[in-house]
Amino acid sequence: MRKLCSAIVGLVLATSAFCQNPDYQQDSKWQAPADVASRPNPLANRPETAGGGQKLFRRNCVECHGADGSGLAKKHAADLQLSSVQQQSDGVLFWKITNGNPDRGMPSFSKFPELQRWQLVLYLRTLKTAAGSPSKP
Amino acid sequence: MEIEYGVTGRWTSELYIEGQGTAGDSAVFTGWRWENRFRPLKREHWINPVLYLEYESTSEASRIQKEIVGGAPDVESPNADLQATKNHELEGKLILSGTSHDWNIAGNFITEKNLLRSEGFEFGYAFGVSRPLAKLASGASCRFCRENFLAGVELYGGLGSTEDGFGARNSAHYVAPVVSWQVSENASIHFSPSVALNGLGNPMLIRFGYSYEIRGFGSRFTQWFGGRN
Repeated sequence: MRKLCSAIVGLVLATSAFCQNPDYQQDSKWQAPADVASRPNPLANRPETAGGGQKLFRRNCVECHGADGSGLAKKHAADLQLSSVQQQSDGVLFWKITNGNPDRGMPSFSKFPELQRWQLVLYLRTLKTAAGSPSKP
Repeated sequence: MEIEYGVTGRWTSELYIEGQGTAGDSAVFTGWRWENRFRPLKREHWINPVLYLEYESTSEASRIQKEIVGGAPDVESPNADLQATKNHELEGKLILSGTSHDWNIAGNFITEKNLLRSEGFEFGYAFGVSRPLAKLASGASCRFCRENFLAGVELYGGLGSTEDGFGARNSAHYVAPVVSWQVSENASIHFSPSVALNGLGNPMLIRFGYSYEIRGFGSRFTQWFGGRN
C-alpha cells in the first residue's frame, strides 16, 4: 500500500513538474510604458480583497497559468512565481493584465472593472509566498 | 448553435448553425454562418477597433435577427416557400469599443451584400453600453454574487440600402435591455428583450443565449487525432 501511495505521489509530482514552465522567457517586446510603473495598487491596504482576486484568477487565468500560477509549458504561459515576474511593479502587472499580449496568446482583460484587475494583481503577489520564494519588488 | 474558437490571440472564428420552428407550420434547418473577428491593434486604446467578416449561407426562412440590416424578414409566408430561396451573403462590421469608469461602450456599423441577387448593399448599426453590477469580486464562491451579473442597454436597427437609399427612416429600430449572468466558471446566460421603436419590424424580439466554454479545447482536439500538444 505504501509503495502504491509513493508511486501516486511521485506521479503527481512528476506530472506537476512536467506541466510547469520553468523555462519561461519574457517577451522583451512586451514592455509597459514608463509612466504606469509607479501606479500604486489602490487595494494595497485591503489584503482581504485578494480572495476575490483568487476567484477571478481561477475563472480566467488557470487554464494557461495553472492553479499555482507556475505556467503551463504547453501554453507557453508565464510562471508567475518567478522573481522576474514578481519583481515587476504593481502598475506594470496591472498594465499587462489590462492590455494582454495577443502575439503570445495572453488576452486583454480591459473589460473587467479596474478594481477587479487590481484584485488580480493583489492575488498574484500571494503566489510568491505560496511558492516560498519571497522577493521584494 | 454557435461554436467559437480562438485561432490566435487576435483572431476568433465561429461557426453558427441555425434553424427555426414556427407554430402551426414546421421546423426547418435554415443554414449556417462563418464569423470571424480580427483585432488589428496590439494594445488597448481609448477606442479599440475589431474587424468582423461573416459569410452566411441561409434560406429566406431564417428568422434569426442577430442584427437589423435593410428591411425585416418575411414572417407571413410558409416555411416551405421561404426555404426554396437561398441567400449567400457577405457581412462586414467595424466594431469600436472602449471602457470608461467600468462601463463597456461598443458600437458597430454593419454592411451586408447578397452575392446571389442584385440587392445592392444593406446597412445597419448597433450601439450598446453595459457594466458589471459590482466593481469588486467577492472572495466567496457564489452564483448570485453581484459581480456575476452584467447589465446594459442596446440600440440597434437598419440604415437602409444602396437600392432604397441610405438612412434610418425606412428601417426597423429596437431598444433592448441586456442582462448577462455568469452562472459558473465556464457557463453564462444572456437575455435581451427588444422593443421596436417604430412599426417597421416585429413589435418585440427576444434574444436568449447560453454559452459554455470548453477549456483546453485545442489541446484536446489535437490529442483526439493523435497529435502532440
